[in-house]
Amino acid sequence: MSRLNNLSNRIVPPSQLRENWTATISDHVIDLAWSPDGKYIAAASVLGPVTIFEGHRQAVIHAFEGHEFGTMSIAWHPDSKVLASAGQDGKIRLWDMTSGKATHSLDGGAAWVEHLAWSGGKNPILASAAGRKLKLWNDVGDLVREFSDHQSTISDIQWKPHARQLASIAYSGVTLWDPQQSEAVRRLEWQGSSLVIAWSPDGKHIATGDQDSTVHFWIMSTGEDLQMSGYPTKVLELSWDATSRYLATGGGQEVTVWDCSGRGPAGTKPITLSGHQDFLSVVRFQHHGKLLASGCAEGLVYVWQLRGRISSRVVHEAALKAGVTSLVWSPNDQFIAVGDESGGVSVFSIS
Amino acid sequence: MNTAILNNQVPVTVLTGFLGSGKTTLLNRILTENHGKRIAVIENEFGEIGVDNDLVIGAEEEIFEMNNGCICCTVRGDLIRILGNLMKRRDKFDYIMVETTGLADPGPVAQTFFMDTEMQEKLQLDSVTTVVDAKHIWQHIDDSDEAREQIAFADVILLNKIDLVTEGELEQLEARIRSMNGAAKIYRTKNAVLEMDKILNVGGFDLDRAMEIDPQFMEPEYPFEWAGIYNLSAGTHQLVLQEGPDPMMKVALVPVNESTDEALKDAVEPVVMVFSDDEHELSAGGTLQPSGQLIALNLTADELRFDVQIDHPSAYALFTEHHPDEFQAQLFGNSTLVKPVVEREFKPDHEHDDEVTSVGITTPGDLDADRLNDWIGNLLRTKGIDIFRMKGILSIKGEPNRFVFQGVHMLFDGRPDRPWGSEPRYNSLIFIGRNLDRAELTEEFEACLA
Repeated sequence: MSRLNNLSNRIVPPSQLRENWTATISDHVIDLAWSPDGKYIAAASVLGPVTIFEGHRQAVIHAFEGHEFGTMSIAWHPDSKVLASAGQDGKIRLWDMTSGKATHSLDGGAAWVEHLAWSGGKNPILASAAGRKLKLWNDVGDLVREFSDHQSTISDIQWKPHARQLASIAYSGVTLWDPQQSEAVRRLEWQGSSLVIAWSPDGKHIATGDQDSTVHFWIMSTGEDLQMSGYPTKVLELSWDATSRYLATGGGQEVTVWDCSGRGPAGTKPITLSGHQDFLSVVRFQHHGKLLASGCAEGLVYVWQLRGRISSRVVHEAALKAGVTSLVWSPNDQFIAVGDESGGVSVFSIS
Repeated sequence: MNTAILNNQVPVTVLTGFLGSGKTTLLNRILTENHGKRIAVIENEFGEIGVDNDLVIGAEEEIFEMNNGCICCTVRGDLIRILGNLMKRRDKFDYIMVETTGLADPGPVAQTFFMDTEMQEKLQLDSVTTVVDAKHIWQHIDDSDEAREQIAFADVILLNKIDLVTEGELEQLEARIRSMNGAAKIYRTKNAVLEMDKILNVGGFDLDRAMEIDPQFMEPEYPFEWAGIYNLSAGTHQLVLQEGPDPMMKVALVPVNESTDEALKDAVEPVVMVFSDDEHELSAGGTLQPSGQLIALNLTADELRFDVQIDHPSAYALFTEHHPDEFQAQLFGNSTLVKPVVEREFKPDHEHDDEVTSVGITTPGDLDADRLNDWIGNLLRTKGIDIFRMKGILSIKGEPNRFVFQGVHMLFDGRPDRPWGSEPRYNSLIFIGRNLDRAELTEEFEACLA
């Protein structure tokens, strides 16, 4: 019996991820975004500049100055022809990929514009969050709507997948907004500080990572919430798999994966993936596949194959020279782009 | 909370104080005098500051309660966001100053550096420094929780604008502040001028420096409420009183060299000793002499008149248990009213029992680890909200090393320190907080002795 076990659990050493190319930008990669058409990778430096690389080879297409005092986030228009950026100059800029110029500079409404999100569908809408201000813009820079101020600083925003509904989080819960209405359409109250939000791809759940080392799991049909605690640190890393069954979370050195099928994760034991020796900085499922990538402050990138509690394992790995700050899958799930603390941007291929 | 240098952590000073206390002046001075170093300033109140190379960021106070069953566990969300972003930059700052508003509670600010892993890893809270307007603080000290909390939380207190008050007023203020916070270093300043090493890198939360406190010198409690120096000629003077709140009042009359604030100050310590002597009762009509004895004036007669016999013309200091105004006390020489040239009030601790105080405990002996654990655990659970700061050194039975600790509200941080060696083992700790019961704390602590 023990022999059989040994055989079936034989450790297959992970393969090294193949590096396609690597480059360096001015400082800490604060945000990284692969264009939806797969052609470009945008990398924002904490100092401000935003560099547009070609996705599959080391070539700089554009070097945007970004934002004075620092860029906070970037987001691709669904058509991949425009990149939106936000920063500590209080501005949102729309950069035209053809001309390489900023076509619009918009006022976010506070000193730091921290979050951006494009809706899908026809005539996409850009949502921006700056302090307590939540604004909506069309892709030619017109203000579509400015919602009433939040009670505290907005910590994250995300559009519901395949829908025109926006979720924002701040201290004291989740708020849902409809671009057609000035008032919030729904409030999910919780007296605590949520830091990051993730809609499940099927739109049935919202997960939040929280300051007090918990993960909240909201069931949208009932408005019920579950709280998962036991994390060593605040939780800033969340990712759903394509099927909406698994929610991967960071909040420490182990990746914790909750199975949200059936009655949800309440009372269940999650899958824990151990291996990182430092705090996780990112966990991210493939867009369509089952592989899960994780990165940590020590600079290690693991790609995990999820096979239940016992036999999940690292299938690929890579070691960077500095702590991982951001990681994105290419739209076709064949590549990952990784940004690090010293400005390194690297693209690895999975196959 | 290891030393900042070892872990490459950036030190942070939290600057508190009411609007107009001189905070901004101090901040400007720090920026100017440390020119060349990169200092980031996080401000809640926008003032006119900023020096090349420095970064000034405005923040809006956002207090986050932590859902961990502890009502005093709050952090500042705005600081986590801003500092988190600052620490991502490669050209790291050498120092970070966080200036709070006059109305800010320093508790959540301090706790932010211990309750958030990211902050804890990258930053080292060096001290809470509070600037006090020596002239106007009296308007706040009795009716503002924030003013008292800012004083109680401080590692360093600047009594600023000393040019606007008398020495006596300063003494009184310092005594009051000492009674609230027995562990802080107090400096008297004009225009917030002070050597930088007294403000920056002072290690207020550093366990290695937790033993620098000495509770024995922390809480001057004066047995008298008032003292005044009179210039008295030779002859018999009269001290005339009216009936007051007490049938007895202890007084001491001592010769001093001159009628100055300095001379009065010098007389304080010896007279504290006199007040610990046995008293000599004196009935109305009796004669008071500048003998340096403790005299208890019996104030039960119809006419409260005492002779004061002076043989040598000189300056004399009269110390009284209660304020003379409570008895409308007056001194006459040849039927003329003699007024004190210099006077000073001493605010005794007991008047502020319900407010912010320091309780220092120093005792020899070894502690039983289990009992100590139970006691501290229970104390922080039940009184954590009222305990702003605590620190000390403990001698645990069976442990060759000193145990050092410090804490903010319910957050406790402690570890073994160097061996006691041949040094006598003792315990020395201080609690600073609201509604602290000195007798109870002392008794409970002593019950932990093995």
